[in-house]
Amino acid sequence: MTEASLYLLQQLINGLTIGSTYALIAIGYTMVYGIIGMINFAHGEIYMIGSYISFIVIAGLLGMGMVALPVILLIALIVAVLIASTYGWTIERVAYRPLRGSNRLIPLISAIGMSIFLQNYVVLAQGARDIALPPQISGGWNFGDPQLFEVSLSYMQLIIWAATFVCMTALTLFISRSRIGRACRACAEDRGMTNLLGIDTDRTIAMTFIIGAALAAVAGLLLGLYYGVVNPFVGFIAGLKAFTAAVLGGIGSIPGAMLGGLILGVTEALTSAYFPSEYKDVVSFGLLVLILLFRPSGLLGKPEVEKV
Amino acid sequence: MKQFSRTLLSVGTALAIMGSAAAVQAETLKIALAGPATGPVAQYGDMQKIGVMMAIDQVNQAGGVNGMDLEGVIYDDACDPKQAVAVANKIVNDGIRHVVGHLCSSSTEPAADIYEEEGVLMITAASTSPTITEKGHQLVFRTIGLDSLQGPFAAQYIINSVKPERMAIIHDKQQYGEGLATAVKNEVEKAGITPVMFEGVTPGDKDFSALVAKLKKENVDFVYYGGYHPELGLILRQSREKGLEAQFMGPEGVGNPDISKIAGEASEGLLVTLPQSFDQDPANQALVEAFKAKGEDPSGPFVFPAYSAVQVMVEAIKGGGETDPFKMADYIRENTFETTTGTLDFDEKGDLTEFSFVVYNWHADGTKTPAAQ
Repeated sequence: MTEASLYLLQQLINGLTIGSTYALIAIGYTMVYGIIGMINFAHGEIYMIGSYISFIVIAGLLGMGMVALPVILLIALIVAVLIASTYGWTIERVAYRPLRGSNRLIPLISAIGMSIFLQNYVVLAQGARDIALPPQISGGWNFGDPQLFEVSLSYMQLIIWAATFVCMTALTLFISRSRIGRACRACAEDRGMTNLLGIDTDRTIAMTFIIGAALAAVAGLLLGLYYGVVNPFVGFIAGLKAFTAAVLGGIGSIPGAMLGGLILGVTEALTSAYFPSEYKDVVSFGLLVLILLFRPSGLLGKPEVEKV
Repeated sequence: MKQFSRTLLSVGTALAIMGSAAAVQAETLKIALAGPATGPVAQYGDMQKIGVMMAIDQVNQAGGVNGMDLEGVIYDDACDPKQAVAVANKIVNDGIRHVVGHLCSSSTEPAADIYEEEGVLMITAASTSPTITEKGHQLVFRTIGLDSLQGPFAAQYIINSVKPERMAIIHDKQQYGEGLATAVKNEVEKAGITPVMFEGVTPGDKDFSALVAKLKKENVDFVYYGGYHPELGLILRQSREKGLEAQFMGPEGVGNPDISKIAGEASEGLLVTLPQSFDQDPANQALVEAFKAKGEDPSGPFVFPAYSAVQVMVEAIKGGGETDPFKMADYIRENTFETTTGTLDFDEKGDLTEFSFVVYNWHADGTKTPAAQ
């Protein structure tokens, strides 16, 4: 392979990694939108909280002298998912359910309020500084010609790909095969009718928030380990990117969120690769504008049918 | 979302302004301390705070200034230009006429315009962007060196000691970082070194893998970074993981122990230009002990400049006999001041005529040693 193609391969690896995590967070936006038609702006903060919790658990277990890394990571994953899901459920219960049925704008404002609240709550509880964790999983494969360009694929990047793939497959199966999944789909189709048919829609909606939060917590753990740094403001940027990914793929569509995340990640990496990296956001958000101009409902979104 | 929080904040500030009467008691002189108490660079705000508070304590213990006790009032601008404007207006409306701050150049610049217009004396102990003092302001001073001094100083070290083959310059697109990066670029180009890359990154980003791959492809052996430690820490860490073997160098904005926490081993050998370590100066040992007695760390680059900013104000009040900002400003321009950061002499613009930097080797445990010339 030539230097140029090795370089391209490296940038694709980088882009797919970041894109996978955008996709994991984007699921939470898209599922909630699909069911209740609102954008949960506090979702980025759930990701941030998931990151903090996994840091605290990992640091705590290491401090207690535990050495088995897989066990530590598993415990961190379980604790982060449980606590983040609780946050997701609580946010829905406290900030959105009482407003259900009101004007669409009101839960949106409530969501923004929740986001600011959570951010500042973490600033007060954990401080505003970056918290760092030493690399836990280092190393990887290097291939390509060392004379030309050595491509590196770290174990951490592989883990991110694998975890994203497992989560996405599990979610797809869950939505298409399980009873709760069927209730979710029914809710998305017509909430009033679903309610009439005897399905507890409030519980189904709460379930959606829990699933979205759990996936965000997985992303929080993975990205926390990958970058090794977390601060109370990471949720804002990650949330913005994931929201973009959800819109790009078609908000409301789960495969759309996955596709949107990957496209956004790869676009960012390739832009940084071949143009000055300050144009990264210009190009990726420009792409969003273009897609929305020609496909207003996103790549895989269904066109909105006006209900009469 | 951020926009929204700022709107809320300015509404809050407006309410606060309406409620507060300008009540300055005759026996205390309030000094506003403006800088980031929260946000990603809050630790620099801490450095400024402990320096100012120590100076105020010691002045008060020695009987105050002309019969007045000093009181430090903390204002948080979070290193955000919009919040800095709100804070500056609040300081003016609270009736305070002496400010130490702000910290980030991008906050100091808009705030300085307000202070100048409203007759408030401002001394910054940390903002190094040259443009702050280029508007002909009467009431704006600083007790720290400029980027226009630090950039060329770093460039001279690069030219004479590093002698890179393929050099890259990265910055964070902010006034401070890009200003320094540009100064370094201009200077090394004069010496015949043409950087192969000159690029910006977005502050707050976490993923620099694409940038690191590009540095690797360009076979870069030396990188100058203009900006702060959160981004450089991650760039170092990701460079280490991706096998990029280049020497990195940064300004005082990267020189604090947090960079070692973020980058770990990858921070070993990083070159940093810092103001001379005033806490190592034998003349300051009593003061260093006083900081340690309070459990504070005097080694940060802005602690002593902040202390001397208060010293300059106090000397100006004693020497001129008045607290009027305009009379103080005249006094500061006309005289020299003996401070913990040496003898300070201000030029017409309000900058120091002399300020010396030192190149340090940073270590993975967060300490530093002077670099070989």
